[in-house]
Amino acid sequence: MPRPPSSSPPAEKVLAWVYLLPSLAVFALFLGYPLYRTFYLSAHGNDLFGAPTRFVGLDHYTALFGSAEFYRTLLTTALFVLLTVVPGVLGALVLVLLLEGRLRGVRVLRSAFALPFAFSVASAAVVFGVFYNPATGVLNGLLSHLRLGPAAWLTDPHHALVSVALATVWLNLGYNVLVLSAGVGSIGSEITEAARLDGAGGWRLARSITVPLLGPHLFFLVVVSTINALQSFGQINILTRGGPDHATSTLVYDVYDKAFANGSSDFGAASARAVVLLVVVLACTAVQFGVLERKVHYA
Amino acid sequence: MRKLLVATAVAALALTACSSSPSASSGSGSDAAGGAPGAQALQDAQGVTTVTFWHGMTGQNAAVLNSLVDAFNQAHQGKIEVKPVFQGTYDDVIAKYKASVQQKSTPSLVQVYDIGTRFMIDSRQTVSAQAFADKDGYSLDDLEPGIRNYYTVGGKLVSMPFNSSMPLLYLNADAFKAAGLDPAKPPQTLAEIGEAAKKLTVKDAGGQTTQYGFGAAIYGWFVEELLAESGTLYCDQGNGRDAKAGKVVYDSAKGAAAVQWWADLVKGGYAVNTGRTTADAQAAFKAGRAAMNLESTGVLGGYTQAAKFTVATAPYPKIDATDPGGPAIGGASLWVDGPGHSAAEQRAAWEFEKFLGEPAQQAAWHTGTGYFPVNRKALDDPKDKAWLAKYPQFQTAIDELHAAKPSPANAGCLLGVMPQARKGVETAIEQTISGSKSAQQALADAAREIQPAVDSYNSSVG
Repeated sequence: MPRPPSSSPPAEKVLAWVYLLPSLAVFALFLGYPLYRTFYLSAHGNDLFGAPTRFVGLDHYTALFGSAEFYRTLLTTALFVLLTVVPGVLGALVLVLLLEGRLRGVRVLRSAFALPFAFSVASAAVVFGVFYNPATGVLNGLLSHLRLGPAAWLTDPHHALVSVALATVWLNLGYNVLVLSAGVGSIGSEITEAARLDGAGGWRLARSITVPLLGPHLFFLVVVSTINALQSFGQINILTRGGPDHATSTLVYDVYDKAFANGSSDFGAASARAVVLLVVVLACTAVQFGVLERKVHYA
Repeated sequence: MRKLLVATAVAALALTACSSSPSASSGSGSDAAGGAPGAQALQDAQGVTTVTFWHGMTGQNAAVLNSLVDAFNQAHQGKIEVKPVFQGTYDDVIAKYKASVQQKSTPSLVQVYDIGTRFMIDSRQTVSAQAFADKDGYSLDDLEPGIRNYYTVGGKLVSMPFNSSMPLLYLNADAFKAAGLDPAKPPQTLAEIGEAAKKLTVKDAGGQTTQYGFGAAIYGWFVEELLAESGTLYCDQGNGRDAKAGKVVYDSAKGAAAVQWWADLVKGGYAVNTGRTTADAQAAFKAGRAAMNLESTGVLGGYTQAAKFTVATAPYPKIDATDPGGPAIGGASLWVDGPGHSAAEQRAAWEFEKFLGEPAQQAAWHTGTGYFPVNRKALDDPKDKAWLAKYPQFQTAIDELHAAKPSPANAGCLLGVMPQARKGVETAIEQTISGSKSAQQALADAAREIQPAVDSYNSSVG
């Protein structure tokens, strides 16, 4: 990467800042101030209406780290990330590799698999809610036709997280397929041609050529999906509201629960959780860049 | 003149303070302005007085409400204009109301759910309905006693009831007959529901359940109502009616019996667990998948329209046969805001409240939405009588409320963090169903977990 010249004339520097000013102002207003406010609120107690009243220092954090419920929430969050990122990225990869085959109508299939991208979280969650309904849902209808009995998709604490994750994977699949399809398209045909001439086909081609060259795209998807998973809210709120028995209560949902749900307005405790969430997202992203990116091959 | 008014108001306040019981001081300190403005305030006002009215009504309920608002605005043209603003669910309304208090921009009138009553009193932003009624010598005696009981704190009516509902036991009468049961002799206790549920559960040749005997949403309100019916308190200090409640007491033997009964029915395969979403449980009943269902009076119209079977209703069950009976009411009431609003505006809001509470409007509201009329004279309205002839199932609710003897138990629990307490019960039901805890243990844990929130709330309101 060429280094920028270190000694640009002062007038140019001023001009650069002038150009940056609009975006800096937007950042400061919509990211900087809320961030500052979150830290501020997390160190204050609230009155009845959620207004900060007194400085409490790290009290919210000590209470948080002292509660068993919080560690359960962290575990749920981690599980949710695993259950959505791994199948979401791997599933999309498998689909894209299969779609590489020279089949008839492959374009139609490719569009079909990318379709979930067009759905909003809310509408998809509502539709999945209808599917999952224990008494009148489509899925249990199918199961009972197969004589497998009804499953408690969202009402059993042991299944609920998986069911919510399933809806999320479906929702993310479209975007992931789009990104990976673009990646496959960008692989030079001379490389695949050469490999084919050398006798590589199907599995071998995918393993040694396509997947390694998709590295940057896969890495991008893992990072973005992880952040998305950590911030997922809509589907949890619509499908389970964090239940049953806190089984789907992730960090984001916990923030909402403390701040707004059930007439609560404990903005202090909610902000402390939001800060923890920020740290978790930063840590995950840093680790991914530190560990995974080393293995990515940039063509 | 103004000084005189203030002096009278102060004197009146001092008098009530002296005459009321010691408990009243802790329970009724809701009037922010120390009295209500009289009718003169509105007469003296120049131009049109605008009343912003925040509510949480959707669909058919919103349509009927808006038509009532239009009728009121028509009748007060050039003097008062009520502007209804939909603010989302009841929870959203409370959340936005809290923000508006911080920003000193509260609406003139706000609709708040039953379980937000304690919070609204403690917010010290409102002028009680009692203060206006006393000012005018307006009689509140036409209000349904059971409904008035809920919103009466320290002997004063703190807000104007508007939309009230009651719980009922809904029955699939066809399924009852098919199982050899008589829908005219419905089960009255939890044990009887359990027995009927076993007979009503139908399996196909492959062993798959096609019809469950029972199904209800995991909704804390249903447990609150069972406790009310059984004469059992939900929170201490006489359900928060004698003094500010300091803890929940739903982990009683009665509470545990109710939750354990529910979980056992699900575990036995006689009840379908549709989770917390009330719409899912309603769908199960309407589709004939659950033969009995606990729900509010508000769903009767929807049930009779959607169901392909005869819908029957029965009084909400008792936990044990010897329980006194009588449910608490649910729904919401209207609160007039004091601070930051002119005397004319407060007065105009009260006029609108009174209008909504009159028999004709309550009859229109009742017949249009299925909510229980808060004014008992509404039931004599010809329109109401015609509606009742069409929906005879609603008579159950009327009889149920009129038979109830007002008590602290069926007045309902007043607690600042009532919505969170309700959620605790819902979690306890889930834990009992999943088998991770016994009902007694789950309720005790829920009570313990809510305690810091109760303490922190009470300490923040002093």
